[in-house]
Amino acid sequence: MPQKQHGGGLNKGVVLMILAALVPFSLPTVVVLFFTMLPTLAAWGTEKGPHKYAWLCVGGLNLSGVIPYLFGLWFGIHNLDAAFDLLSDATVLLVAYGTSAIGWLIYMVMPPLVASWLSYTSERRVAAMKAAQKKLIERWGDEVGKKPQPAGAAPAGVE
Amino acid sequence: MAEAAADKGQEQEQRQAGPPGLLRDRFLIRSNQPLTELSTPTAEAFAAEDRRDSNRSLYALICKPELPPRVNVMRALRGLQSPGLQTLVEWGPMNWPPTGRQCMTVVYERPGGRKLVANNRPNEIRRIDEYDIGRKVVEPLVAAIRELTGRGITHRSIRPTNLFYMDGAGERIAFGDCVSAPPAFSQPMVFETIESGMAHPVARGSGTYSDDLYALGVTLVFLIFGRNPVAGLDDETILKMKIQQGTFTTLVGDERLPISMTEVLRGLLCDDGDQRWDIEALDLWQQGRRMTPLQPRVEKRAARGFPFQGKEYFNCRELAAAMTKNWEAAIPPVLEGKLELWLRRAVEDKERAQAVSDVVRMALGGTSDKKVVSDLMMCKILILLDPSAPIRYKGFSAMPDGFGSALAALMAQRSDTKLLVEMIMREVPKLWFEARNVYQPDNSLMEQNFRELRAYLSQTGTGFGLERCLYEMNDALPCQSPLMGEEYVVELKDLLPALNAAAAKRTESRQPPVDRHIAAFMGARARSDIDRNLLGLSDPDTGKSLMALLNLYAVFQYRLGPESLPNLAAWLGALAGPMMGCYHSREKRKELEKEIPRLVRKGSIVEIYQLLDDAEARGKDESEYVWGQAQYQAAEDEIKRILADEDERKVEADRVGKQTAAVTGILIALITITFVVIARVW
Repeated sequence: MPQKQHGGGLNKGVVLMILAALVPFSLPTVVVLFFTMLPTLAAWGTEKGPHKYAWLCVGGLNLSGVIPYLFGLWFGIHNLDAAFDLLSDATVLLVAYGTSAIGWLIYMVMPPLVASWLSYTSERRVAAMKAAQKKLIERWGDEVGKKPQPAGAAPAGVE
Repeated sequence: MAEAAADKGQEQEQRQAGPPGLLRDRFLIRSNQPLTELSTPTAEAFAAEDRRDSNRSLYALICKPELPPRVNVMRALRGLQSPGLQTLVEWGPMNWPPTGRQCMTVVYERPGGRKLVANNRPNEIRRIDEYDIGRKVVEPLVAAIRELTGRGITHRSIRPTNLFYMDGAGERIAFGDCVSAPPAFSQPMVFETIESGMAHPVARGSGTYSDDLYALGVTLVFLIFGRNPVAGLDDETILKMKIQQGTFTTLVGDERLPISMTEVLRGLLCDDGDQRWDIEALDLWQQGRRMTPLQPRVEKRAARGFPFQGKEYFNCRELAAAMTKNWEAAIPPVLEGKLELWLRRAVEDKERAQAVSDVVRMALGGTSDKKVVSDLMMCKILILLDPSAPIRYKGFSAMPDGFGSALAALMAQRSDTKLLVEMIMREVPKLWFEARNVYQPDNSLMEQNFRELRAYLSQTGTGFGLERCLYEMNDALPCQSPLMGEEYVVELKDLLPALNAAAAKRTESRQPPVDRHIAAFMGARARSDIDRNLLGLSDPDTGKSLMALLNLYAVFQYRLGPESLPNLAAWLGALAGPMMGCYHSREKRKELEKEIPRLVRKGSIVEIYQLLDDAEARGKDESEYVWGQAQYQAAEDEIKRILADEDERKVEADRVGKQTAAVTGILIALITITFVVIARVW
């Protein structure tokens, strides 16, 4: 899929360009976001395959961990010192990375959970079908399971 | 001492013979009182007693089961009183203890005198004076033949050993039994016309009154001479002499006869059936009117003999008879054209020679099976050589109306019927009918019958085949099915009661109450055409074939009765399983299982059939069943689909799981932002 790879690279470039454009206007925010959202970046960069949902899940959780501090920065002193102060606070990083870890956990647990659910519902459906068949056999005998003959294929000699 | 020994012997004989038979709850047939002097070659005679009139002097003939009796003639003769006939008082099947089965029994009035010629001394014939013969013999016997002719039947057993003095004084003579065996079966060759004599004894057919008059003529010769004029000669020699010299010359030869007797004997013994005297001519003769004696016309003698099998034959009839007996050996000289040459040069019959040549040429140009072609060619050749002879095929000769009794006898004796089957399948009788010069309505009817028989033989299913031919050709033959046991069933109305009686004794429960004989019997005896229903009996689906049988029996019970046939109904009820199979619904089947025993106790096959063949219920059952099948199939397909999509489901689960996780992440982020915004704003 060279086109897709090319498209993916383009998207990444666009995102980086937008971030780069934001730098002159809100450098402290970008610095905080860059360092606290590193797990999201990692998820975005490392996930393979056609469906890349990890960065959304990890990113969502990661952002929820970062956003209260980011609001503090925006509504407090919005300069590079304050940004680095925040980044030097272990709690901030712990919360940001911890929430991203929860995001990873959710991302890893959700597919097996969904698979189990689907399997459960399929089994229920099969059981219901088999029960219906059993009832039909009780009413009509085993021959009800035979495929019906097409019209006109009645045995010879029938009046 | 001697008396005691005799009594002991009598007692022992009585014990051996067993209890008496009872015919129609009226005539007691004493099995311990055999009457040897009244027995016939095909039936044993026993003393009989009328329980309503013990003074009546009667005797009974017990027919041999392996020979078909002439039931139609029995029907016609019952109660008939004629000076020249023994009165047939009663007839019918009867349980005969000595044989342990039902036998056809005929009760006659016992003659007052003895037999003219004892069975064990056939050559000791008492001479009857020429002056008495008209009054004592011709008068009553011609009256009897006239009576029989009026009823459309023939006697076919006219011979001295079957004549009785009906009174002690020996003034009146009468014919004996003629119904206990197929027509002319027991007749020595000398009493049969040349044509009938050529046929197999069992296949001589009913013939016409002319055959009876011929036999009467031969009988008169025996009685006038007081001896058998051809005693010591074998049948072949007698036949040869009759062909070469004519019957009159063969029997009378140089003997002197009164002119009046010469006249009647020449008339009766004429070998040409068309010229033979009839009843009117005999009446005129009895009235004293003198007629010109017929001159015998014998077969034209060839200038030189035809060499065949080491003998030389000088006329066509003899040669045809010899070729019939040596079928295979006769084919090469015919194919080589020797016969045609002989006919052309020695017999000087160019027309016949040309006809033979045409037949041979057609046979040589035939493309089908050579054996079949040459056999049919021989049939045609023999018909050309002797058109009035019986239908002949590979050594078997039969009159067209003798096929039925021949088939019945062969099947009863479990003999090979291949020849008869071949004759019908290859349309040999048709060749014979085509060769008739004069149109006879009876022949057309018989030809049509043979066509139908061929159609029946072509079908091999139950109710058709050889068995069907047997009952079609013998309309008074009892059903030969082993399922009937001792029952003697001649008419369709007796079939179900007989099966009901047989059902009470049956041990094998799985066999249905029908076999090829019963089915063929029904097909032949039913007034309406039931062939379509009979076809159902051969259905490979047991349920459907039993349903077809139930349908037939229900119709017969409805039309012919009786109302209750509990044993037969039980038999059919025991086989109802496959018939209930025509309903798919298990619930319906259980309902039927509960209902059938009630109807079995009632003995109603009609109601059992109606119960099982409810068209509305069957239609509903069928449509619901088809819907059920569709539902089952849909469920089956769904299950298969679910089980087959395991891998796809894993991929799907992975994708949906990841999407769910992503959505969850985004939702958490949005909720958090919302809470943080709210907290900051407030």
